[in-house]
Amino acid sequence: MTCSDVERVLPELLDGAPDGALPEEVKAHVKSCPACSDLVSDLKLIASEARQLAASEEPAPRVWVRIAAQLRAEGLISDPVTGDPEPAPSRPVFVPVPERTSSGRRWSAWWLAPVAAAVLAAGSYVVTHKPVPQVATQQTPATLGKAAVTATATPSPVPVPAPQQLTRKSAKPAFSKSATAVKSAVEPAPSEEDQQFLSAVSTLAPSMRTTYEIQLQAVNADIRETQAYVDRNPGDMDARQHLMDAYQQKALLYQIALDRIQ
Amino acid sequence: MASLHSASLRQANLRHANFGQYMAVMLVLGAGLASAAFAQTKKEYSFAVGPNANISVDTQYGAISVRPGSSTQVMVTATLKSDKVEVDLQQNGNRIQIASHLLSGADEQTGQVDYEVLIPPDATVSLHSSTGPLSAEHLQGDLTLEGPDAMVNVSNVENGHVHVRTMRGPITLTDVRNGHVEIASISGDVHMQSVSGPLVQVNSGSGKIFYDGDFGSGGDYKFTTHTGDIEAVAPADVSADFSAHSVLGRVHNDFPLQPKQHSRFSFEAGRSFFGTVGKAASEVVLRSFSGRIRLKQR
Repeated sequence: MTCSDVERVLPELLDGAPDGALPEEVKAHVKSCPACSDLVSDLKLIASEARQLAASEEPAPRVWVRIAAQLRAEGLISDPVTGDPEPAPSRPVFVPVPERTSSGRRWSAWWLAPVAAAVLAAGSYVVTHKPVPQVATQQTPATLGKAAVTATATPSPVPVPAPQQLTRKSAKPAFSKSATAVKSAVEPAPSEEDQQFLSAVSTLAPSMRTTYEIQLQAVNADIRETQAYVDRNPGDMDARQHLMDAYQQKALLYQIALDRIQ
Repeated sequence: MASLHSASLRQANLRHANFGQYMAVMLVLGAGLASAAFAQTKKEYSFAVGPNANISVDTQYGAISVRPGSSTQVMVTATLKSDKVEVDLQQNGNRIQIASHLLSGADEQTGQVDYEVLIPPDATVSLHSSTGPLSAEHLQGDLTLEGPDAMVNVSNVENGHVHVRTMRGPITLTDVRNGHVEIASISGDVHMQSVSGPLVQVNSGSGKIFYDGDFGSGGDYKFTTHTGDIEAVAPADVSADFSAHSVLGRVHNDFPLQPKQHSRFSFEAGRSFFGTVGKAASEVVLRSFSGRIRLKQR
């Protein structure tokens, strides 16, 4: 019995099967192998947390309201102008801060810091709280892959199980309350915080807009690609770590922009 | 015959006109260059410091080069490309802050300041430039180098932390010993030659990671990319515990690895390998999502 053998039977364990239901040789290996023992403990905890989160997989609306209120209080965002022929969006609109001429770093864009933190937190949330066992055991890999492709290529307003909802959240981690699906087959529209990010860059450092846009698209594509893979292979812990890494890359991009334009 | 003569005249006139245009362009270029050269200003500053000084240099546009000098003095040479930029200096005890200060109307050309800084070898250094290049050499203190587009070069440093962060700027580390190395880049390539220490951690999204060295003794080496390739070259007598996995890419290994009972990755032919060489003094983890991983024997 090797670590690989244990990993093959982990979905059964994660599905809530008691330890007693596992083959003796698996239990013996887990008992003798600290790495596998730690892995099993961690995955049990994740599965337990995920079950508790099933009813509230998205942060409460008040979270977004409080963030928006804070940004509005700082003058970094404003409510949309009424009388606009388009339906007024319910989300805040970014307003550039006037240029400071007395400093080499002329612009204030510190709002990117909480946004970057939110990106990272959202990534962490998606990676660590996704209810793996249900996906892993309710569908075969083949049907799971097909389902994931369908979910990503065809936007549908019909509610889908929690794992797919979490998948969508990964592409729109902040200010995203919509239930529209991620369109990973084509380039999706920038999320709200990405639009704010690019708006700030284009206003305050226009020469860098294209560069940051390209980098942002690349990072978002990495996140979507990895998320789709994780959806199809929920037990692949290394892929999950790569998903976390991809979110960290996005946070890094925001931080670099923050340093550049503040 | 008449038409031939007329054609010759036209060609002569054309040559004359081209020459005139050429001279005009050259005059304009020359005047521009002379003006730029005239506007360029070189300023020198010096500060007295004690052991373990802390020095930061921050410029929006321009190169920063740091080298060892006197153990009790910091010497700064700043080359300002125009009068649209100033240099701010501040000393608080052992801490020195040097920053470019853009004035109204400054752009990437006129706002450029190049810095050459001589510092005590044991000083802690923080460098930031959007455009770079950034370089530090022959130092022993902690180094932090950051710049979105900056090319970063670190060479012949030891015993300090080396932290580098870029967006797409390429990063080169040469002869870094006993360092705590952390490198993060979105799309910049990372090239390491003879880099060793207790921790060498490199993360690049789409950039390539290249390592040529012996992986030291007793260190953790973690190289991660998303789409970029990873290539590591080590001598035959290396002593390391290797683990490599590419989720969607291919892996290749030249070393005869001794199998391990436990591994952080499940074995997948062509996509992962793991095992030890020698006494497994260091741990080496190579991870990529879709890049190719290659471990080569020198």
